[in-house]
Amino acid sequence: MTTGEVLLEVDDLTVEFDTPHGRVRAVDGVSWQVRAGETLAILGESGSGKSVSTQALTGILEMPPGRIVSGTAQYRGQDLIAMTTRERRKIVGDRITMVFQDSLSALNPVQSVGKQIAECYRVHRGLSKGDAMKRAAEMLDQVRIPAAAKRVNDYPHEFSGGMRQRVMLAMALALDPDVLIADEPTTALDVTVQAQILELIADLQAERDMGVVLITHDLGVVADVADNVVVMYAGHVVERAATSAALEHPVHPYTEGLLLSMPSAELKGQELPTIPGTPPSLRAIPSGCAFRTRCPIAVPECALEVPPLLTVAPGRDAACIRRTSISAKEAV
Amino acid sequence: MTRFVLRRILAAIPIGLIVTLGVFALVFAMPGDPLRELAGDKPIPAAVLAAKRAQFHLDDPFIVQYLLSMKDMFTGHFGTTFAGADIASQLRLRIPVTLKLATLSLALQWIAGLLFGLYAGFRRNGVVDRMLLLSTLVVLAVPGLVLYFAGQFLFGVQLKWLPVSGITEGYPLAYLLPATCIAITGFAGMARLTRTSIVDTANADFVKTARAKGLGEQRILWRHVLPNALLPVVTLMGIDFAGIFAGAVLAESIFNLPGLGQFLFQSIRFHEGGVVVLLSTLAFVMFIAINLVVDIVYGFIDPRVRNV
Ligand SMILES: Nc1ncnc2c1ncn2[C@@H]1O[C@H](COP(=O)(O)OP(=O)(O)OP(=O)(O)O)[C@@H](O)[C@H]1O
Ligand code: SF4
Ligand SMILES: [Mg+2]
Repeated sequence: MTTGEVLLEVDDLTVEFDTPHGRVRAVDGVSWQVRAGETLAILGESGSGKSVSTQALTGILEMPPGRIVSGTAQYRGQDLIAMTTRERRKIVGDRITMVFQDSLSALNPVQSVGKQIAECYRVHRGLSKGDAMKRAAEMLDQVRIPAAAKRVNDYPHEFSGGMRQRVMLAMALALDPDVLIADEPTTALDVTVQAQILELIADLQAERDMGVVLITHDLGVVADVADNVVVMYAGHVVERAATSAALEHPVHPYTEGLLLSMPSAELKGQELPTIPGTPPSLRAIPSGCAFRTRCPIAVPECALEVPPLLTVAPGRDAACIRRTSISAKEAV
Repeated sequence: MTRFVLRRILAAIPIGLIVTLGVFALVFAMPGDPLRELAGDKPIPAAVLAAKRAQFHLDDPFIVQYLLSMKDMFTGHFGTTFAGADIASQLRLRIPVTLKLATLSLALQWIAGLLFGLYAGFRRNGVVDRMLLLSTLVVLAVPGLVLYFAGQFLFGVQLKWLPVSGITEGYPLAYLLPATCIAITGFAGMARLTRTSIVDTANADFVKTARAKGLGEQRILWRHVLPNALLPVVTLMGIDFAGIFAGAVLAESIFNLPGLGQFLFQSIRFHEGGVVVLLSTLAFVMFIAINLVVDIVYGFIDPRVRNV
């Protein structure tokens, strides 16, 4: 399933912010890769650095206050972070595109949706106004917006939340990108609409053999659509695995906690266990393992140094000093 | 569209009634006898006084006086002032003066407000931005009256760069100082709003989307930031425009420009209820008309309010 060409490879990405209260590290040494046809989920609680990491590598993060301290993001061997803005604009927006959570604020309120989609063809393909609008209408049709030809001149506020997210998708997929980065595309939608949008993304992905990076804080979404998952906590990647493996055998205690707090059929009616405590503030990340203040199996050594992300089994990495191999976990 | 305009005009009628009635009542309630005030210390023959009182319906009850002057106004019989000047020809002479003053001051304040506001917004925390924040704060803190007198004293009396008062020097020279004074008070709000709006819009999510689309900064600015950032500015322009008469009353009186504002000021002093109501109605109709135009313009630039 994940044998396609590696399209985007992020390595050791670290992002800091200069705030009035000092410097905070929102993303720390993050690495992952996505292949053609693969859906990679980035899973983590609010504030874990999911958005900042993807926005930094695509160059749309406000810098300053943000600053990329280290790292590379190779798109087919070209480092997005090292290249100039001008070079990056040929890739981000064309070969790598993004959709965001809140489609109402993420679309320009005073421009028709058709014009906003057509802009991609105008800028990156140099199409005429008429041709670009025609292609925009076709895109709206492809994301299954009813009466697309008529709605192309409507404005964002005239669409429902689900339809608007389809418009965002149409815009992001207009140029047939290699990689789609979807930042919580369904968080603002109700469950049925969410399922429709995820299904639509999966269908369009299959048609195009596109790599999808799906940012979410919902383990259910991961279970439904992702091939692989990267779990983030306080700016760090704490676990990386195939989705099925992570769901069956979570290695990192944080992933385990997330899994236990996911509603499931067997546990129906029972109260869900939740991970105690709250994610740490970036200004007061615990020393050593950032998760240790909430970790049920923490030991004093956990405070000493940041646990490195180690390969615990083929294709599986986790950052926990007490779980350095699958068998070690089994033994605990 | 036609329905929208008609509805707005219909809605304006009751408000217009209340406004004119209120203005008339205020003039009516002012202490002192208008005719005696006009005559000053000179004794007036009782017969003349009685004739004048009858001519201006001064002995009729309040509501009759009001209705009579409304009737005169709508039938185009503006009549004369207590002192005998023909009001229609007064208007003909004075309207151009006020128009010149208003257009010049609006042009000055809009151009300066937009330029400084845009520049400060783009170069946030730069030198121009900081200076603008400071200077507009000062302007906003100083009452208009003080500013007008200070301007007149400094540039007219002391430096002698511009005429102190009157319109003998003609347009635009004679209008420059009063127009600048009005413009400075309006400029402060305009520049600040423009700046804030640019800064807010530059941080909006759709600007992030535009960047993620790989658009150039110029395109993002002209197609995405400005069309949104200028929406509240257009609203403020309308408010400024509609309220320009208020500034004119003060400036024309201080700089002695024979416009409508000065006319209004004098009419209030002489208790000329009819003239005051006439001018207030004129200002009110202008206000409604300008707001209507602003709303229509707004409907064109902001699709979210286009449901007319
Ligand atoms: N401009 C900024 N200045 C300072 N800190 C920032 C800034 N932008 C983001 N951060 C911090 O970076 C951290 C990571 O934020 P990010 O938006 O990536 O979280 P997230 O994982 O996407 O969460 P969510 O699920 O809420 O979207 C947060 O703690 C946030 O406070
Ligand atoms: S390193 Fe220690 S604190 Fe961190 S997850 Fe492992 S056991 Fe828990
Ligand atoms: Mg986010």
